[in-house]
Order: sequence, then C-alpha cells, then structure tokens
Amino acid sequence: MLRCALLVALLLAPAGCGSRGIGGRPGPEAAARASTPAAGPGRAGPVVPIDAPGIRALVTRPGARATLVNVWASWCMPCREEFPALLRVARAHAGEGLRLVLVSADFDDQLPAVHRFLSAQGVGDTSYLQSGDVQAFIDGMDRRWSGALPATFVYDRAGRMTAFWEGAADEARFASAVEAALTSSPGREDPAP
Amino acid sequence: MKLLRPLVLLALATVAPFTARAAEDAAPGLAVGQPAPLRDVRMPGVDGRATAIADVAGKQGTLVIFMCQHCPWVKAWQTRIARVGKEAIQRGVGVIAINSNDIAALPEDDLDHMVAQARQLGLAFPYVMDSTSDVARAFGATHTPEAYLFDARGRLVYHGAVDDNARDEKRAKQRWLRDAVEAVAGGRAVPVAETKAMGCGIRLRAKVQG
Repeated sequence: MLRCALLVALLLAPAGCGSRGIGGRPGPEAAARASTPAAGPGRAGPVVPIDAPGIRALVTRPGARATLVNVWASWCMPCREEFPALLRVARAHAGEGLRLVLVSADFDDQLPAVHRFLSAQGVGDTSYLQSGDVQAFIDGMDRRWSGALPATFVYDRAGRMTAFWEGAADEARFASAVEAALTSSPGREDPAP
Repeated sequence: MKLLRPLVLLALATVAPFTARAAEDAAPGLAVGQPAPLRDVRMPGVDGRATAIADVAGKQGTLVIFMCQHCPWVKAWQTRIARVGKEAIQRGVGVIAINSNDIAALPEDDLDHMVAQARQLGLAFPYVMDSTSDVARAFGATHTPEAYLFDARGRLVYHGAVDDNARDEKRAKQRWLRDAVEAVAGGRAVPVAETKAMGCGIRLRAKVQG
C-alpha cells in the first residue's frame, strides 16, 4: 500500500522541475574566484570556493525538489570508490528534480587533481571547493559530522535535511536517500531556475 | 489535491527512518571523561617492539593520536604532531601514535611506510599498527589525524584536531592540542575539550568475530 502511494506521489510530482543536473550555479563573487581547468576533451567545469552558508543557500534555492551534497577529496579512496555510484544515482534522478552539489575538501594546491578526477568522471558542471574555517564548515553542515570523508547530506525541496551519513555508501543507499527526499517534496511546480 | 495530501503524508513518513538512521550513523566516539579503551592491547611498532597505550602512560597524562602515512591531512600536520608529541613527553605526558588503516586497501600505510615516516619525522614516541582496527573501533575514531588526550587519572579531556589550520601552520589561530597538553601537564582544565577537522576516514579492517 505504502509503496503504491509513494509511486503515485512520485508520478504526480512534476518531472523536470528545473533541475540543473550535475552541479549548481555559483554566485557572482564565487564565480569570479572559480578555478577552471585547462581546455580539453571532457574537461571538468569550474570549481568554486564555498563555505557552509554557501551550501545552505544552494540547498534552499528554488529549482530542485531535492539536493544531495557530497563532500569528497581527490586523494580519499572511499570517496573515489563511491563516486561512480553517486553519479549514477544523481543522473538517474536529475529529471525528477535532484540537484547534486559536489564539494571537494582538497587543498588549493590539489586543484589539478580535482579537475582530473572530475573530468574522468564526466562531471562537466560547476562544482565546489571547501573554503574558510574547517571546523565551522563541519559544524555548519551538521554537528554530528566528525569531519571524516566522504560525507553525504540529502535535503528536501525546503532545505530540510532528510539524510546524513559519513563514510562511503553504495548505489542502493544513495538511491534510497534521494528517493525519500524526492518523495517528501512532491506537489507544486517549481519556479524556473 | 485532496488525493495528494494523504499521499504526501505517507511519503513523509518514509523519511523518518532515514533521519533516525542518520543519527545512528554518527560515530558514537569516546566521550570526554571516559577512560581509554583497550589500553592494554599491545600493537607492533616501527621500533620492532609491541607497545600498548598503557605502556606509554605518563605521570601527567597520555596522548593517543590516530594517524597514518597516506593521508594528506596527516602529511599537512605531521611535523606539528611530532613536535607536540615530543613536547608532551618532556612534560610528563606519554604519547603513542596508532595507524588503524587496513593495509590491504591502503598499502601506503603498511609498516615499512610507517617506519620511513617515523624516521623522517624523528618521532620521539611509539608509532604502532592496530592490526585488527579494534582499537580505532573501540575509540570510535573515524579519521586521521585524530587526537585523544587523557589526564593523569586516565580520563579523556581533549578530543579532536591539532589546530585550526592544516594547510598553513603560520595562519593557525587555535593550537588546541598544544594548549590541551600544556594544561594537562600543568594539572589544569583544558581550554577546549572537543574540536573537529576534516581528515581521511579510517579504513577499518573487517571485524573478526569470536
């Protein structure tokens, strides 16, 4: 019964919902400081500095029914391992209004490795680089977060957190969390992005 | 719309388990005031000897640092860790560094690499391998580097980061671990008991049953 209800709720929800697919859009100030990779086939998009309030603004910005924030690093093995599954889920649900916000915790001098990894993963949209005070960033995201990477945060349309975990996840876990957030945000049409 | 509302409520109900699960996912961790777990477990070290936390306990306290070789966050802080550890020993606080990573997944963290790292840093304290990852598990340690400082009575008084700027020591405004060690060595309360920093998630070995 519940499953049927959820399915109906999903079907009733508007498709497309203004999702930008993989990545979000930086503010003008951040964009000005964005790091862009060298041109080349399959190049990654710009990597924009962001802090916790910046992420908060992204997850509450109209235009998506749910947002998944993943904090990762190019040198973090479990981050790299879960990345393909994360992207499969994000791409599968992009049409339903899922916004993906990728935040690298790499140091500034590791940006080339960030670009290389994103490029290899086919992430061509804007992504982000954690900036500012690290402890403020961690607690600003969630006080339960110890700081271990990777860390994943899922929000509904209103920016309410519906799931959080630290450590790597498999595709099923990403999908469950995303589907729950999308299901909790059905209904009215989204404003245009 | 009338049809939609109950569906939405049903759908929202499904979110609750995720919220609950998130809380469970947060590492329980050792709470301030608790003693070090598994303090008598001897672990093989870079000096060829097996050492337990209890073996290094100092008169004024004991500092346990989870670290490893491969992690850029450790690399950023390791000179400071070596220095704070050396100063701690001089002040009567025993020190041990523990690597709990599964070397099958992270070969750069094997004992040979640890030996080279200890030599390069001139570590003045034991650096051991938690070969089952049980010590990290018992502490609830989640990432490297992560410091646990116990006072003379063996109670946890500080847990967290070295300071507030891994990338640039000169720009660090808070030197939490150094200040905590100085306080413990002086028999005073630590100024800040818990701090956070990002780090490399500890790759625990599979739990051996029985």
